[in-house]
Amino acid sequence: MARVVLKDIRKSFGAVEVIKGIDLVVEDGEFCVFVGPSGCGKSTLLRMIAGLEDQTSGQIEIDGVDVSAADPSKRGIAMVFQSYALYPHLTVRDNIGFGLSLAKLPKPEIARQVDAAAETLQLTHLLDRKPKALSGGQRQRVAIGRAIVRNPKVFLFDEPLSNLDAALRAQMRVELTDLHATLGTTMIYVTHDQVEAMTMADKIVVLNAGRIEQIGTPMDLYNAPATPFVAGFIGSPKMNLFTGDVAQKLGCGTYGIRPEHVLLDPAAGLWSARVRFIERLGADAIIHLEAEGIGPMLARTAGDTDLREGDAVWASPMTGKAVKYPG
Amino acid sequence: MKPRQYVNGWATIALFSLLFIVPFIFIFLMSVKSVEQASRLDFSWPQDWHFWANFVEVIQTRNYMLVLAYFNSTVITVGAVSLLVILGAMVGYVLQRRPSGWNKLIYAGLLAGLIVPPAVVPTIWVLQGLGLFKTLHGMILIQVAYGLAFSVLLFRSFIGTIPGDLDEAAMIDGATPWQIFFRVILPLLKPVTVTLIVVQSVFIFNDFTNPLYYLPGKDNITVQLTLFNFQSQFQSQYNLLFMNILLVTIPPLVVFIFFNRQIVAGMTAGGVKG
Repeated sequence: MARVVLKDIRKSFGAVEVIKGIDLVVEDGEFCVFVGPSGCGKSTLLRMIAGLEDQTSGQIEIDGVDVSAADPSKRGIAMVFQSYALYPHLTVRDNIGFGLSLAKLPKPEIARQVDAAAETLQLTHLLDRKPKALSGGQRQRVAIGRAIVRNPKVFLFDEPLSNLDAALRAQMRVELTDLHATLGTTMIYVTHDQVEAMTMADKIVVLNAGRIEQIGTPMDLYNAPATPFVAGFIGSPKMNLFTGDVAQKLGCGTYGIRPEHVLLDPAAGLWSARVRFIERLGADAIIHLEAEGIGPMLARTAGDTDLREGDAVWASPMTGKAVKYPG
Repeated sequence: MKPRQYVNGWATIALFSLLFIVPFIFIFLMSVKSVEQASRLDFSWPQDWHFWANFVEVIQTRNYMLVLAYFNSTVITVGAVSLLVILGAMVGYVLQRRPSGWNKLIYAGLLAGLIVPPAVVPTIWVLQGLGLFKTLHGMILIQVAYGLAFSVLLFRSFIGTIPGDLDEAAMIDGATPWQIFFRVILPLLKPVTVTLIVVQSVFIFNDFTNPLYYLPGKDNITVQLTLFNFQSQFQSQYNLLFMNILLVTIPPLVVFIFFNRQIVAGMTAGGVKG
């Protein structure tokens, strides 16, 4: 259990600065998610916390200790990789117990800890298999098991679910959340998938081009995105963002309204639009509109909407739900 | 399978069996003949079978020289191949995992090792200077020097297919660089190691010219050089010569048959993720 503090972390590869000064506190026991588009530096930041990458400047503290120059194994962290990084020549049992055997723990003690971790992750019946005989989800659990037996102060996850199919990903999201609730350990999780960020995080850190755009709880970011970037990044489907004349008429530089906050009416409204395309998802439907003088716009309605492609409708923002940015 | 594919397949197998098995049968038939019949050097059935007599004579010739040759060749092969595997894997690992400004220079050196033909006289001069001429360990070092470039390149490209995540996972698990190499990387190199062992041990065991140059002396005899025992300017005992060839051919053949399955298994394995 530990608090992770990053102080003015910077990282350059040659002349290119990829992390441009990050200050962040991850509280004890918190589930913190770094989210951002590809190349925003979120994985690099995680690797610096792990000690796999040296920071160019700045300080990293874990549990009150400055670990900026410490070896990865001395930082009290455990990491789960996107590729799982299981040792292919070892059985599940030996994979999970590898770190313990390196630490020269007595064999019965290793067996006890491995069995306990396997029990937690429901891997007991797979302990004697090699990784290649496991499914993606099982491999991921073994990787998590290997992290658990290290009994770390901080868990680091580097896009651990991106190699799984959609159904398994949804299941693993729940399992990871449960695991966090059971262990109560600080966890830092990197993903580019904002659904993972929204569903699992206590705190989301949105990164863009090596800087922090916003830090907050999932609902903070959803309700009050600090910048147009965060507004566009958090939420699915994306928020409608308008600039130029349309925004100026509404008294701002950038005007944003989420699709679920766009009301459609056949008779009256703020913007006249035509239905281009309807994505029916069952419970609800995403209406792709072509608004007059604005361009493409999305609206979310109930799944049983009567609208058809080509229909003319009026769209209006729900009162108090729009976000406005100057400039 | 279509009938035509079936026929083509068997025809190919038959052709290649002919190419590889006929010389072997020739060697075997020659080795069991009498001196007189063998001197005719033809592909004929033996009139009488002298297998045991020829076998014993070849073994006993010049105070059991063939047995000593087996011992020497085995020492050289095992020593050189072990060093080639360990050094090749280590150098390949460092080259692959730790890019530095020196790498280009090192590659140039490796490539030179493959391209530049070895010069015999200067090598002997160096060996004499080091006190390694006419010694088995000197011969081992020569074989290592000749094979190392190939071995490093082979290991380096194979290590390139092992994800770096494994090294990092081991690092986080608390492994030192030596432990990462010996406990994580080296076990994964099994397919390429088996290939290297087969290729290099057959080459080194069968080497004729290098022991001829660098390892003179009656006590330093290697298996291929024992062939000279039965060949001279005025008289050759072909039956014994071919018996000797037969005996010399068997160990590499056994190595190959034994490891053949593993080479194929190794080539089709791989794929760490997936």
